[in-house]
Amino acid sequence: MTTEVGAPIEFRGVSKHYGQTVALASLDLRIEAGEFVSLLGPSGSGKTTTLNILAGLLAPDAGTVTIGDCDVTHVGPDRRDIAMVFQSYALYPHMTIAENLAFPLRARRRRQPADAIATKVRAVADTLGIGHLLERYPREVSGGQQQRVALGRAMVRDPKVFLLDEPLSNLDARLRLRMRHDLKALHQRLRSTAVYVTHDQGEAMSLSDRIAIYRSGVLQQFASPIEIDRRPVNSFVANFMGEREMNMVTGEIAEDAGRAVFRGGALTIALDPAGPWTRLLGRKVTLGIRPEGVRVGEAGESATVDARVRLIEHAGAEQIFFAEAGAAEFCGRVATDVAVRAGDTLRLTLPRRELYLFDTDSGATLVHAGEPAGSP
Amino acid sequence: MPRSARLLMRALVSLAIAGAALFPILFGLATSLKPSAEIAAYPPTLLPAAPTLAHYREIFASGTLGYVWNSLFVSVATVVLCLGVGALAAYPLARFRFRGKSAIMVLIVVVMSVPVASLLIPTYTLVADVGLVNTHLGLILVYSAYQLPIVIWILAAYYQSLPEELEWSALIDGYSRLETLWKIVLPLARPGMIAATLFVVTFAWNDFVVAVTLLSSEEKRTLPIGIYNFLGFYGREWGPLLASAMVATLPILVLFVFLQRYFLAGMTGGSVKG
Repeated sequence: MTTEVGAPIEFRGVSKHYGQTVALASLDLRIEAGEFVSLLGPSGSGKTTTLNILAGLLAPDAGTVTIGDCDVTHVGPDRRDIAMVFQSYALYPHMTIAENLAFPLRARRRRQPADAIATKVRAVADTLGIGHLLERYPREVSGGQQQRVALGRAMVRDPKVFLLDEPLSNLDARLRLRMRHDLKALHQRLRSTAVYVTHDQGEAMSLSDRIAIYRSGVLQQFASPIEIDRRPVNSFVANFMGEREMNMVTGEIAEDAGRAVFRGGALTIALDPAGPWTRLLGRKVTLGIRPEGVRVGEAGESATVDARVRLIEHAGAEQIFFAEAGAAEFCGRVATDVAVRAGDTLRLTLPRRELYLFDTDSGATLVHAGEPAGSP
Repeated sequence: MPRSARLLMRALVSLAIAGAALFPILFGLATSLKPSAEIAAYPPTLLPAAPTLAHYREIFASGTLGYVWNSLFVSVATVVLCLGVGALAAYPLARFRFRGKSAIMVLIVVVMSVPVASLLIPTYTLVADVGLVNTHLGLILVYSAYQLPIVIWILAAYYQSLPEELEWSALIDGYSRLETLWKIVLPLARPGMIAATLFVVTFAWNDFVVAVTLLSSEEKRTLPIGIYNFLGFYGREWGPLLASAMVATLPILVLFVFLQRYFLAGMTGGSVKG
């Protein structure tokens, strides 16, 4: 559609309360022009509030919102030059697909000649592969097609800013993956600024330039997917990212025969002597390792632990095992050709660069991927 | 009891109830088609021996058609006014959060439950003060005042049952609140509008008390007053009376037969999530 890059967005000290409940606590966030940013978090964490404030559907209690060079804090949604795709698609049920697509172009402030509208609608519909559905009504097409109509209606205006509120969550798993791919391709072509709300970390990871992670109305971290994966700021972020929950064991760092060990309940894990452990001695910490980080039967300098297999799940090309070591449980993955059965004892290897340590009380990251965090 | 017997029982009971409800209307219809001599005959006949349209010819010759037009005009104007004002008034009640909103909602219900007869004398004084006694405009305004609360209530409930994302989407697409109401909300609220229309039409078309109080001159009269004229001081002209009653009943009957599902939707609208 357009080669012009979208507009930057900035939130400064934006907050929103509902009675005593904090929906959003003093948000500061700057999204660069043309960036694809996901707002990620569990439900009620403030990501949708952020999006609605950006759209102008909600007025913030405090703070300012800027799109491009304009302060839009007190500007209505009809004057912000944004487009939005809703979770429910919000297609107008009494209009045909062609009329739905043309609707934004018929708004008074953007009124265009009828033939220009028709040309644009046709072009967008063909891009999205819904050209043959133009005369139908939304209820007469499938969920995936409705999804495309909703996208098309947002695209047709060449908006500077694209807002997407969980647009894929009503699709089945296969279609979701395909639309995810199509969305990415679309954004690469349009170069509009895109803000994408989701609670699916996989979607956020694969689509975004940067991810903003929320919890209880507070922005936890805003960084690239790799940064968030490798250097999460706290145990919440670390646990929220990744397909499965991180394995977490609470305990403390102790010294055992001149060597640093992690001790949690009956479990003692000898730690790599080269690690940054000594200054954490005696501190209450939580050890974390992702299921992908747990190795089976690898030797070397890494910490090891013996664990008894409790359960095996088959997941396509691999097996997921849950194994107990004392009070702790480790989830990990092995290839399908490895024979594992419930009751077996596995020697698990925990490589240093896969280990995370969190302060048990504050949740703040002390060590990530084996490296000490900025300030413990 | 076997299934067929149960169905039969149900049909019989339904028929009995329908018969009891319909008998006066059907007997009235039959009577309006009897010559005057047969109406007075004893014992009465159930069906006219020699059906005649004489009474219908008589009422139309004596100017009933004028009453029909008056009723039609007043009813249509009341519907237009009520829906025009009600559609706008219901929107903020359905969608905006503002101080005093629940007080207004309660007030509307309270006003709805005040019987019209108790308001008759104050409204008459009010209408007389502004010089609208014996005008159709005065009647239309009073009808609208009586019916607006229920129209607002029905429409507000119906608006609330519509998904709000549609309106958000229209706002983001560049439309103002008013344009959104006009292009998105009203087309989708058609069942609610039809239900409200039925309430208003039924009231305005059937009303006797208010019209007889406010209208004095012959040519302004609405149909119910016209019918009342046939109840003369010295006797009852049963034939023309029943014929005009049939003429008055027919439009409402037709409206309800065609639109009854909307009427039900309007009464339960918003009470259950569908």
